[in-house]
Amino acid sequence: MKGALKHLSPALACCGLLLTWQLASLGLKNDSFPTALDSLRAIPPILTDKEALINILASLRRMAIGFALALAFSIPLGLLMGRSRATAAFFNPLLMLVYPVPKAALMPIIMLWLGVGDVSKTLVIFLGVSLPVIYHSFEGAKAVEEKMLWSGAAMGLSAGERLLRIVLPAALPEILTGCRTGLVLALITMVTSEMIARQSGAGNILFNALDMGQYDTVFAMIIIIGAMGICLDAVFETIRRWLVRWSEPQFDMPLSFS
Amino acid sequence: MITTRTTNEWLLGAAPIVLVLLLWQGLVSFGYAPATLLPPPVQVFLRMGQQLASATFQQDIAATLFRLFAGFAIAVVLGVSIGIAAAVSPPVNAVVRPIVRVLAPLPKVALYPAFLLLLGFNHESKIMLVAADALFPILLSTYYGATIVEQKLIWSALAAGTPPRDVLWKVVLPAAMPSILTGCRIGLVISCIVVFLAEMITSTDGLGHVLVTAARTFQAVDMFVPLITISLLGLILNGLLQGLRAYLLRGFPSV
Amino acid sequence: MGVTPIRPGELAGVPLGRRPAEPIIEIDHVSQVFKTSSRRDHTALSNISLSVEEGAFVSILGPSGCGKSTLLYIVGGFVSPTSGTAKMKGKPITGPGTDRGPVFQEFALFPWKSVLGNVMYGPLQQGMNSAKAEARALELIAMVGLTGFEKFYPKELSGGMKQRVALARTLAYGPEVLLMDEPFGALDAHTRTRLQNDLLEIWERDRKTVLFVTHSVEEAVFLSDKVVMMSRSPGRIREVIDIDLPRPRRREELLLDPRYQNYIVEIERMFDDSGDNELPS
Ligand SMILES: Nc1ncnc2c1ncn2[C@@H]1O[C@H](COP(=O)(O)OP(=O)(O)OP(=O)(O)O)[C@@H](O)[C@H]1O
Ligand SMILES: [Mg+2]
Repeated sequence: MKGALKHLSPALACCGLLLTWQLASLGLKNDSFPTALDSLRAIPPILTDKEALINILASLRRMAIGFALALAFSIPLGLLMGRSRATAAFFNPLLMLVYPVPKAALMPIIMLWLGVGDVSKTLVIFLGVSLPVIYHSFEGAKAVEEKMLWSGAAMGLSAGERLLRIVLPAALPEILTGCRTGLVLALITMVTSEMIARQSGAGNILFNALDMGQYDTVFAMIIIIGAMGICLDAVFETIRRWLVRWSEPQFDMPLSFS
Repeated sequence: MITTRTTNEWLLGAAPIVLVLLLWQGLVSFGYAPATLLPPPVQVFLRMGQQLASATFQQDIAATLFRLFAGFAIAVVLGVSIGIAAAVSPPVNAVVRPIVRVLAPLPKVALYPAFLLLLGFNHESKIMLVAADALFPILLSTYYGATIVEQKLIWSALAAGTPPRDVLWKVVLPAAMPSILTGCRIGLVISCIVVFLAEMITSTDGLGHVLVTAARTFQAVDMFVPLITISLLGLILNGLLQGLRAYLLRGFPSV
Repeated sequence: MGVTPIRPGELAGVPLGRRPAEPIIEIDHVSQVFKTSSRRDHTALSNISLSVEEGAFVSILGPSGCGKSTLLYIVGGFVSPTSGTAKMKGKPITGPGTDRGPVFQEFALFPWKSVLGNVMYGPLQQGMNSAKAEARALELIAMVGLTGFEKFYPKELSGGMKQRVALARTLAYGPEVLLMDEPFGALDAHTRTRLQNDLLEIWERDRKTVLFVTHSVEEAVFLSDKVVMMSRSPGRIREVIDIDLPRPRRREELLLDPRYQNYIVEIERMFDDSGDNELPS
């Protein structure tokens, strides 16, 4: 019974948030703030519109490709930086300069070079995801207990094997934190890059609707993109839990004081 | 020995930045990229110097910084207090946890149109967006940091006569500080990114706006200037935060 | 089972004329049942009764997992027992208080405070002004032999030094009872011996009541007036043994003292007989 409640609680939270929204919009009576119900009603037309659906799926595809490429590139780099002082010293300042730059803001420049197509948008997502993943892999690898590596060396593992067999699993929880930040950033970057390119994708539909004053479409798109974020996160969380089941901290226990 | 090591590391760290600049210059000099798409670095930095001296550009920086700080400050205050409250109080936890599960992964930029419609096109909506985006990393790491506080630290403080209501800020808060500051660091970077994006989407001032204006008129040079500025701002703010961290965590192992 | 309980005076030579003392801590039919994560009940302590006289040094010995720490936490007021009561000076214990000072095995020093800051913490909490608190802290730091390390942070200290700071921090707020949970467990033999001597010296000076959990029979006999032996599953008291050895005690003398050796042999034999530590042979 209690377990069921725990699984249902995010759903309850969703309902609660929608209810708050409904009440707030009824209370505010603002033209540009449709009620939750109206916005929910505007979702089916978007999802049945073939073009919109293709747009949204294209967004997701770009995001998946950008995300996957970023992981393949960033995790090895981050791990290497964490275990080799020289590599870290070499890359750190450059990365520190690049991290706070909004990658979607590179869109106008990249568009000038590569056009408005998939390549630009995927590249931008790749850049957006890479930095947090590199940063967290770096921190994770740096924190790996030296003694574990010594015992690995004593067992005859080569440097490369140690990185793969010891550093990678030990740093995994931290790497996955980076991937999670990366996932959020991928969504942000996806939405904004499409909004800037104004050609296709979920972000484009959202901001076009805003410009045209179709407020229930705006809010319907917000719900759709939000649901995308929540679903991706839930999938990611399931995978993460499975991967690091050995190191799960007891997250559920509130501190006791008295 | 130590000094040579750090100078070496400085040189090593400067190398890729110099390489990038050289590559950039090379692309322009050897005609691989037309100057309209990729202006030579010297031109960009000259323009940047010019801009930094101009009053309008300074106002743009000020506007960006104001939104950044306001949003970040709100996020820190809310994130730390909600995070700690959720860690110590089961009822708060029961309410906050599912809401955070839902709201944390939601891409906040998608909420920006809603903020615009509700709060108007001025500072408020942008500050709100920055706060919404920076809030969750700070909240989650505060929560995590507070849940792993060693129970015996709390017991020691209670036995020494700390009233239970003081334990929160005398033990839990300082003990969770390393984790809180890690969250703040992530939140700060995200704030930099998001304030710029918000200004690109709709604004009449700020660094993001400068970029958009330049893009509309195809002024490649002017597009690079705000990007480099935000990257330097991020670097400086991050440096300040690192300094604060080193000071606050001077007692903790391996800062 | 072949256990011969030791009666007072049987092993010891001449019983010392100990002053009549009031019980300061009374543990009355205390049981502690934990819910495990697989939702089963696990009895950590079962029906424990024990009274500790004021000014006594009492050690608790027992196999791992028999509930020694749990018992100490109950007296500290950090954990409330499932049933039974624990009393301090006749009043039921309902929570932590400055009259009972814990020294944990894990040190539990505040990492964000220097040695001085850690030791000053208690006095400041008692409302002492900072000049006085600092003077008190410096005095205690000197007492545990750490003068010169006031500005150091815990991370910069060795294990033995941290243990001294933890002791000084607890002594600084003047608890009447010290609750020490394997305080010297993690230390090397040499540091351990030194700290035992220091502790005895401090104790002989101001005769605080001490409840001292340890795994070492020698340590228990060397330090205590009374040794409480516990057994496991469920945790209960098997035997309380009075140690009648003269004080002040000096290690060199005791090591040659047959009474001391007898106590150790006897207690170790009891543990062996109990089968608590062994597989059936
Ligand atoms: N929070 C808890 N939840 C469930 N069981 C617990 C908890 N704390 C202690 N126990 C159980 O209670 C028993 C006694 O634990 P305790 O820590 O008091 O043992 P101990 O005698 O101090 O052992 P050691 O000598 O190893 O420190 C153990 O079997 C342990 O599994
Ligand atoms: Mg114990």
